Amino acid sequence: MLKGCVLTPRNQEERVSDSIPRRGTTTMDKIINDFTINIATANGTGSQSANLILLQSLFDMGVPVSGKNLFPSNISGLPTWYIVRLSDLGYQAPGDRTHIQILVNPATWDEDLAAAEPGTVIIWNSDTKKKTVEREDIISYPVPMSSLARKINPKIAKLVTNIVYVGVLAELLDIDQACLESAVARQFKGKESAIELNITALGLGRDYCKENLTKTDPYTTESREVDRPQFFIEGNEAAALGAHYGGVQLLAWYPITPSSSMAENIIAYIPRLRSNDEGEATCAVIQAEDELAAAGMVLGAGWAGGRGMTATSGPGISLMQEFIGLAYFAEVPSVFWDVTRVGPSTGLPTRTQQSDIAMLYEGSHGDTQHIVLIPGTVEECFEYGWRAFDYSERFQTPVFGMSDLDLGMNRWACEGFTYPDIPMDRGKVVREREAFEAFETFGRYLDVDGDGIPYRTLPGSGMAPILYRGTGHNPMGVYSEKPEDYFNLMARLKMKIDGARDELPAPLLREEEECEVGIVFLGSMENSIQEIDDILEQTGMKVSQCRIRALPLHSEVENFIRRHETVIVLEINRDGQLYGILRRELPNDLVTKVHSVAYSDGMPPRARIYAELIQEKLKEVSQ
Amino acid sequence: MSDKPARAVKLNVLNEPKDSYTGGPSSLCPGCGHDQISSVIINAAWENGIQPHRIAKMSGIGCSSKTPAYYLGQSHGFNTVHGRMPSVTTGAYAINKDLLYLGVSGDGDSASIGIGQLIHAIRRNMDMVYIVENNGVYGLTKGQYSATADVGSKKKKGTVNETQPIDLCALAINLGCTFVARSFSGSKKQLGSLIKAAMSHKGFALIDVISPCVTFNNNDESMRSYGYVKENEITLHMADYIPHFNPVEEVDVPEGHFRDITLHDGSTIRLETISEQHDPSSPMAALSALHDAEVNAKHVTGLLYFDATKPSLAEDLGLVDEPLLDVPDETLRPSQASLDALNAEFLA
Repeated sequence: MLKGCVLTPRNQEERVSDSIPRRGTTTMDKIINDFTINIATANGTGSQSANLILLQSLFDMGVPVSGKNLFPSNISGLPTWYIVRLSDLGYQAPGDRTHIQILVNPATWDEDLAAAEPGTVIIWNSDTKKKTVEREDIISYPVPMSSLARKINPKIAKLVTNIVYVGVLAELLDIDQACLESAVARQFKGKESAIELNITALGLGRDYCKENLTKTDPYTTESREVDRPQFFIEGNEAAALGAHYGGVQLLAWYPITPSSSMAENIIAYIPRLRSNDEGEATCAVIQAEDELAAAGMVLGAGWAGGRGMTATSGPGISLMQEFIGLAYFAEVPSVFWDVTRVGPSTGLPTRTQQSDIAMLYEGSHGDTQHIVLIPGTVEECFEYGWRAFDYSERFQTPVFGMSDLDLGMNRWACEGFTYPDIPMDRGKVVREREAFEAFETFGRYLDVDGDGIPYRTLPGSGMAPILYRGTGHNPMGVYSEKPEDYFNLMARLKMKIDGARDELPAPLLREEEECEVGIVFLGSMENSIQEIDDILEQTGMKVSQCRIRALPLHSEVENFIRRHETVIVLEINRDGQLYGILRRELPNDLVTKVHSVAYSDGMPPRARIYAELIQEKLKEVSQ
Repeated sequence: MSDKPARAVKLNVLNEPKDSYTGGPSSLCPGCGHDQISSVIINAAWENGIQPHRIAKMSGIGCSSKTPAYYLGQSHGFNTVHGRMPSVTTGAYAINKDLLYLGVSGDGDSASIGIGQLIHAIRRNMDMVYIVENNGVYGLTKGQYSATADVGSKKKKGTVNETQPIDLCALAINLGCTFVARSFSGSKKQLGSLIKAAMSHKGFALIDVISPCVTFNNNDESMRSYGYVKENEITLHMADYIPHFNPVEEVDVPEGHFRDITLHDGSTIRLETISEQHDPSSPMAALSALHDAEVNAKHVTGLLYFDATKPSLAEDLGLVDEPLLDVPDETLRPSQASLDALNAEFLA
């Protein structure tokens, strides 16, 4: 059994004991640590650094906080929103509404202002030409951000403007100055002049606020004691580290959002983790000419006896389909990470979705079935980063890691990564002549042990050489079109992957005694599920959770469904792809109580939307 | 049988008989030029004294890509997917750079579907021998033109190819390929020397071998092919009937000279062996020779271009000395202490 994931660990116990969530902590009229800030900027203006400083300083205060970067598929000048949610309950989904809106981007100004609900705090750059804020029902804080920024350095005023609004927020929300300064230092890693400039700009924002604005809004922050220390990290960096602790020997990749930072982090850690004193590495990196070539290189590595991987997104997996089929049929270990984004086609390249489930599970033409590991936390990104290689070599088959943009590119709290508790599993590879000679008959595709997993020898060994092929073959690896050879081969492959079910990460269960409604979900929905659960339980129902962490389905999934009266399969896509798999694989008597709730608009899952959809579905099926 | 005295068998420097380098029986059309190339490969590996199990046979899809089953039976091989052999070879090479990678491809594989991978393997100067068995036609799908078919080529059904061909040698020279040669499947001696040289080359060695298709590459002289068959009193009513031919006669054209070679269908090609004055270190001279040959409707053969100075992919990857395959697991996985240090730094 794998280590259970921790959903926002600081608040889990509190949440479990509370069936009705408290809406933050209210002292007099203050609203503490329970609100959402939306920062509207243009990309390429340096706003990302400012927003990460804000996020990090709140995190360092011990405030449970999450950040979602809604960025465009563009290099510079298009609208970007950064959503910071503070939640003492540990909710990490984007909130239902914006409580504090920062307006610095004239391009979305009117739209963002119009969308603000009454009572919203609007902090706006009063130097913005032709833009103003004239609404009586909101709390308006005009700040001449550009003029303040120009005081520091007119040449980089636009850049500095961003950090000025962080200073204003710091003053309004009572953000700890020491935490702010350490966040600045972390962001600019030792670049003294940048650190100094940003701290000065923060001060200007703070001072302007102190001298010119009167706080009339209820929002504020308070430091929290943190039981277990945590840090912030992106899923892609976590998976990259995991790959290194799995001894990755070849990274072959082609840049694609949102997976590029996984490859780049693998590269970045090679000097530290994978190089000898002479700077020579034990991990090769090749930036391929396209995703087809990247996949081919991964297969070549697996065929030669090494650990190869690629990191890509849905469009890349589409291009890799042919090689995926070859890896399955010729039984070549190979690891593919799919950091999913919104499809079909180019889709919304910088938005999140869980819509590659079916494509990964049954990738390539012909009958296929693949192992898919589905992390829901950064800890699991790390763990599956190394385990993927073990599974792939053990079962001699392609293994997918399925993350998504939300998990991969946003920062999540982490208590630390756990070192692999088992040695690397290199599978059934015959390396020594003596072991080879112990075989009465050696056939590359001969099922000696009855588990469907054959033995292999490696190129260069001189033992049992064969020509690997994507054409039909008999147990000896020789080309064959005989009906019984093809049938037996396909049956063995089916048995082999079936045998992996209970060896893969088991689902993570959080069950109520009552077993009324069970929600089956996967991946980054982890970050919204507790809030969804709490909203539903406010209506009096009892909700259990089952987070699937791998395909093919673990037998515990069936058991969970059997125990519950009604089961909702919740996923971030249109068609209910996971539901489709369950419907097909579950026994008939269970199928009728399983229902699909699938929704996607490109946004990270907002709890209330999914909770309402579940309520509608439950109403519909009870009729 | 066993008490018969062993016949003296010719051995190479490794004391291996040539039998150690042969493969399974060919399933190509009898008389196919590709089979001649296979026998040259067997000979070259044997004469070079390479341990057969240290060779990796790589191929894509097509008639040519089936041939690795017919030579070097003691070598592992990978018959990959159409046009993607270079990438698979690159990945295998990253893990085990000590093997000799011998790729065999065709003109469909290399000049059409896989041209991108060929180009990028050349660009990386991958250490491999890359033989294109070039017949200008898709054989397995029964005779469509490939991208190397000459303008004016005529199919059995009468359609004429109007599209300009891709000259893989010219392409390779322009890309900075470090070993570029052209030969003919019937030129055993020349091809043998080129393959042996390519096997010793550090970097990407392209050998474009003209290897006429006995079945489908009937060009403007195609009626003669029918005539040839008719003369041999073979009935041609069945569409799937494949006539049997003998391989093209062995050809040895002296340097600086040309000879007209008659193919199975009665057509001729003019082969010219590049002169000994040709300077293979000059890409301009090589391109000029290719251009002259094209203008004069000839195929110039021999080593066209060679550069031993460029670093190969292994040097660019910056890896440890031993092949990654031989690095023990304990070295591949960073230590517990390294992870503890990372966790501590993240928390700081």
